[in-house]
Amino acid sequence: MKNIKVKLTFNMALLLIWIVIFAGIAIVTPAFLTPDYIINVLLKNIIEIGMVALPMTLIIITGGIDLSVGNILVLCCVLGSMAASAGGNWMGLLVTIIVGLLCGLFNGLMIAKARISAMVATLATMYLYLGIARGISMGLQKKCVYTYDFANFMGNTVILGLPLQIWIYFILAILFTVLLGMTSFGRKLYAIGMNHNACQYAGIDTDKILIGLYTLCGLICALGSFIWMGRFTSVKYDAGTNFNLKVITIVVLGGTSISGGIGDMRGTIIGTLIIATLNSGLTVLNIPIDVQTVVEGTVLIIALIANAIVTRRSQKKRIIKVRSVSS
Amino acid sequence: MHTKKGKLFLTTEFYLLLFLIMVLLFLGMFAQGFYSLNNIMSVLNTFSYILIAAIGMNMIIITSNIDVSTGALISVVCLSIAAVGKIGVPFAGLLPLAIVIGALLSTLNALLITKLRIPAIVATLATAQIFQGVLQLMVEGSIYDLPSSYTWLAFKAKLFGVMPASILICAIVTAISLIFMKYSRFSKKIYAIGNNAQASRLTGISVDRTTMITYAIAGALFGISGVIIGTAGQRVTTTMGTGLEMTFIAAVVLGGTSTAGGSGKLTGTIIGAFILALISPAINYLRISADWSDAVKGAIIIVSVLAASLKQRKHKRIITVQSAYAAERQA
Repeated sequence: MKNIKVKLTFNMALLLIWIVIFAGIAIVTPAFLTPDYIINVLLKNIIEIGMVALPMTLIIITGGIDLSVGNILVLCCVLGSMAASAGGNWMGLLVTIIVGLLCGLFNGLMIAKARISAMVATLATMYLYLGIARGISMGLQKKCVYTYDFANFMGNTVILGLPLQIWIYFILAILFTVLLGMTSFGRKLYAIGMNHNACQYAGIDTDKILIGLYTLCGLICALGSFIWMGRFTSVKYDAGTNFNLKVITIVVLGGTSISGGIGDMRGTIIGTLIIATLNSGLTVLNIPIDVQTVVEGTVLIIALIANAIVTRRSQKKRIIKVRSVSS
Repeated sequence: MHTKKGKLFLTTEFYLLLFLIMVLLFLGMFAQGFYSLNNIMSVLNTFSYILIAAIGMNMIIITSNIDVSTGALISVVCLSIAAVGKIGVPFAGLLPLAIVIGALLSTLNALLITKLRIPAIVATLATAQIFQGVLQLMVEGSIYDLPSSYTWLAFKAKLFGVMPASILICAIVTAISLIFMKYSRFSKKIYAIGNNAQASRLTGISVDRTTMITYAIAGALFGISGVIIGTAGQRVTTTMGTGLEMTFIAAVVLGGTSTAGGSGKLTGTIIGAFILALISPAINYLRISADWSDAVKGAIIIVSVLAASLKQRKHKRIITVQSAYAAERQA
C-alpha cells in the first residue's frame, strides 16, 4: 500500500521537501521571509535557468539531452550585444533571436537528421558555441560585452509589483504545462522517449518534432539571454559553463527520467523552486559558495536515487501507460 | 559492406590518419617554427596525458557509459599529490598515490551507476560537482612553492636529454592497453556489455562487476594522466583539470568510438588524441588568436561525428530496407 502512495504523489513529495527546506531556512533567518527578498533574490536569480528547464524537460522526455543551452544563451548575449552596439536596439533584438534559433536548429538537425546521439552532438556544439563566443568577444579585445536598452527593459522592469521576467516565466510555465500535459504533441513526446522506432512506424514525424523541439529550446535560450544580459549588465564568454548542469539538475530533480519517456512539467517547476530556495537560502545562512556546490551535487544524487527507486517500482505502470497511449 | 578488399580504406582510422597527415603537412608549410624541437616535445607531452586518459575514457564509453567527472577527478589528484609532494615525497611515491586516488574516486562513480542504477551521465555530472566543491573547501586557491623533487618528471626526467619522460609513461601504458584490448578476455566482456547489457548478463557476464572494474582501471589511468598534468609546474590550482573531460571525450569520439557503446578501437583513439594535442599549438603557430581554439575543437568534433554518422547511416539504411521487405513478404 505504501508503495502506491509514493508513486502517486511524487510531485506532492517534492512540494513537501520544498516546504520543509523553505520553512527550515525561514525559521533560522527571518530575514529570508520578507517579500522583497523572495521576489528579488530567490525568484529573480533562478528565472533564466528555470525558463530553459521548461523546454529541457520536453527534450529529456524524448530521451535526448541538450548540454549546450548555457553556451547558446551566452552566445546570444555576446552577438546580440555586439549587434546592438553596431546597429542599434532592434538589431540586437533581431540578432539575438536569430542566433538562438540557428543554434537550436543546428542541434536539432544534427540529432534528428544526422542521427548523432544527443549527448555527443550537444557536447560538440557546446564547445563550438563557447568557442565562437570566446573567439568573437576576446578577438575584439573586449573582456566582456555590455547590456543595451531592450535587455535592460527585459531585466529590470517591474509590472504590478513583480519583475517582468517572473511574469514571463509564469506565462511560459503555464504554456509548457499545457503543451506537455494536454496536447497530442505532448503525448507524442512521451511516445518518442519510450520507443523512437515504434513511433516512426506509427506515422509520427519524429524528425520534425525533434528539430522543432531543439529549435524551441534555442529560442527560449535567446529569450533568457535578454534577461540575463539586463540583470548582469555585462557578460563574459564563459558565464554559461555551470548553467547547463543547473538546468539538468532541476529537470532531473523534478522527476523526469534521463532515459526518456517519464516526466512531468509540474515536477520541473517545483524542482526550480527547490533549487532557488536552496541557493538563496544557503547564501542567507552565510554558507560559502563551495559548500553550495557540494549541496547541489548531493541534492542531485539524492533525487536520482529516489527517482531510480520510483522508476523501478513503476515499471508495471509504464506498460499500462503505453497501452493507454495506443488505445 | 563493399568488397573485403576495400575494407582497410574504409575504416575510420584510415580517414583519420589521412586527415592527420594532411594537417601535419599543412602545418609544415604554413606554421613557421612548428617543427622546432621544443614545440614537438611540448606537443608530445600534451599528447601523452590526453592519450593516457583517453584510453580510460575509451573503455568507459565502450561499455556505453560515460564519465564527465574526469576533469574534477584530475584536479583532486593534482592537489592530493601536491599536498604530499610539498613535504618532499619523490615521484616514485606520487605516482602510486595518484593511481589509487583516481581508481577510488572512479569506483565511487561506478557504484552510483551500477548499484543505484543512475544513468552514467547524470551520476558523473553530480560527482563532478561534489569533487570540485569539496576540493575548493579543502584548499584555498592553490598549493605553491613546490620543491624540485615534485616537478622532477617535468624538468629533470628527460630521455636522451630532450624527450620528456611522460612520453615513456604514455608509450608503456599504450602498449599494455593495445595488448590488453586485443587479447584479454576482460576486454571482450567490455565490448559485450556495450553491445547488449541484457544479453551479456544472460550469457553469464557479471555486468556490474565488469563495469566497476572498467571504471577502476580508467580511474587509475586518469590518475597517471593527473600526475603528468599536476607536476608540470610549481603551482597547483584547484581548477587544474577543469574542462579536460571534454578533451578526452572528444579524442575518443574523434577516434571513431560510438557513444552508443560496443564499438571502437584503441588505434582510433590514439590518432584522435594526437589531433587534439595539435590544435592549441597549431593555432598558436598559425598566429590565430588562442581564443579560437575551443571553436576549432568543436568544429573538428562536429565534422568527424557527422562523417562517421553518414557512413554508418548508409550501412544501416540498407539493412532496414531489407528487413522491411522481409517483413512485408512474410505478412
